[in-house]
Amino acid sequence: MKRPAPSEYRAGPLVWVSIVVATCLVLFVFQKILWLVVPFLFALILYYGWLPLKLRLVLSGFSHDAAAALISLGSSVIVLLLAVLAVPWITAEAVNWQEYSSRYLDGGLNLLLSALKQLERRIPVFAQAHVSEEVAQQLSQFSDNFARDHLANAALTLAAWAPSVLLAPFLAFFMLRDGWRFHRFISQAVPNAFFERTLFLLDQIDRTARLYFVGLLQLTLLDTVCLAAGLWLLGVSSPLVLGLVTAVLAWVPYVGSIAGCLLVVLVAATDFPDAPQIAYGAIGLFLFVRLLDDFIFMPMTIGKSLNIHPLLSVLMIFVGGAVAGVAGLMLVLPVLGVAMVFGETLGLVITDPRLRARHRHAERLRQRVAAVDL
Amino acid sequence: MLGFLRKNSSETALRLAESTLFAGLTPGELSTVEGLTHSRSYLAGEVIFDEGEQGQALYVVVTGEVLICHAGELDPPIARLGPGQFFGELALLDDAPRTAQARASLDSELAVLSRSDFERLMDSHARIASRVALQLARNISLRLRDMVQG
Repeated sequence: MKRPAPSEYRAGPLVWVSIVVATCLVLFVFQKILWLVVPFLFALILYYGWLPLKLRLVLSGFSHDAAAALISLGSSVIVLLLAVLAVPWITAEAVNWQEYSSRYLDGGLNLLLSALKQLERRIPVFAQAHVSEEVAQQLSQFSDNFARDHLANAALTLAAWAPSVLLAPFLAFFMLRDGWRFHRFISQAVPNAFFERTLFLLDQIDRTARLYFVGLLQLTLLDTVCLAAGLWLLGVSSPLVLGLVTAVLAWVPYVGSIAGCLLVVLVAATDFPDAPQIAYGAIGLFLFVRLLDDFIFMPMTIGKSLNIHPLLSVLMIFVGGAVAGVAGLMLVLPVLGVAMVFGETLGLVITDPRLRARHRHAERLRQRVAAVDL
Repeated sequence: MLGFLRKNSSETALRLAESTLFAGLTPGELSTVEGLTHSRSYLAGEVIFDEGEQGQALYVVVTGEVLICHAGELDPPIARLGPGQFFGELALLDDAPRTAQARASLDSELAVLSRSDFERLMDSHARIASRVALQLARNISLRLRDMVQG
């Protein structure tokens, strides 16, 4: 008798509804413990970045504990060295940062106002409405009040979040050291009848998460290289740093991409105040890289891990944003991927009468053994 | 260098050494394999896997005895496997469903190596891979000889 293989099983509507509901619930809970979720997310990225090296060490004969300790120690030494090298540069540049930020903001505003003035010259309705004056006045009010209204809150939020983000390397170390024990703990708790399916489930969850986070890192690298190359060709300053920051911001779907685009435009508009075509070129480059991202890079990297229908992905991104804000936007796809694997495998196990019959048979055998001399 | 961080052989690793599948591995290599295996206990009469199932693991008999048979045809079984012998490897090699049922005939303890760990081991540890592949080939050739000779 041939039973359906895990790959042949197709989840029904009930399982799919459960997957979507479970994803929303998880996002809702995550939003409540965001202070833990964010470092956990960074820790997962570190963990999956380090995992291949750890497995290589384990397979070459090191214990799990020693491999995790060696990798964490090595990474800490590298980070410390980089920090020591970067400190003189940071202290030299820090005094200029405020000046840079106001200069770039002014550059962006000038670009916006000059674009609006051009529009006014071409479209009489805009000129009659004095759009550029209105926008300039509102922006001036906003920038005057920005420091008073938002800067203190932003600084406090940053100060509150910094310690929890520092948790990430510790979490990553314990994931590396004890992840396999947790894996065993879970599989040992499973009855024999469901054991092989549980192995498959755990492997698939691990594979989905690993491919997602490794894919995210690869995507970031590809985005950085493309954006940096394009910005360098346009002549914009610090193309590599801008490319990297923009690629990292793109981790947050939609919102991050818009923020990245704004950043690039601000820099381009400031570097070339008399050549707005460079800023428009930067917008064009950004859109081109987004298209590359969506149609080539994403399917090559993250798309391989999450076999989700594109329509469902887009809908779930909106749902994630509505349920848990920016965190929901960022987490919805990996959470949905894991919920899919979990839901489909659980559906397969629950709907397999043979596995349940084998479990009942094993239970009867255990009861008989337990009661043999009573 | 860093030898003090390497693992010491455990009791399970020593028991795995008695398996034909891992014959010829050094204590350190056995310890590596042992780190990837799960230990499961089955009562006499308990089904380990069914014919037609998608195989996700290979099993090594540590103690007890396992019957390989077609469903409902326990007597005579296709094979009777004791300590040191292994089964379930075919599904991992050809990715096809299980060709027979495995059932514990005595209370048994099995070491289980999952498909993903088996593939990872074969991909990343050349020496263990060559030894295990040789033992798998020997096992299959032995079965072929048995079939040909009736």
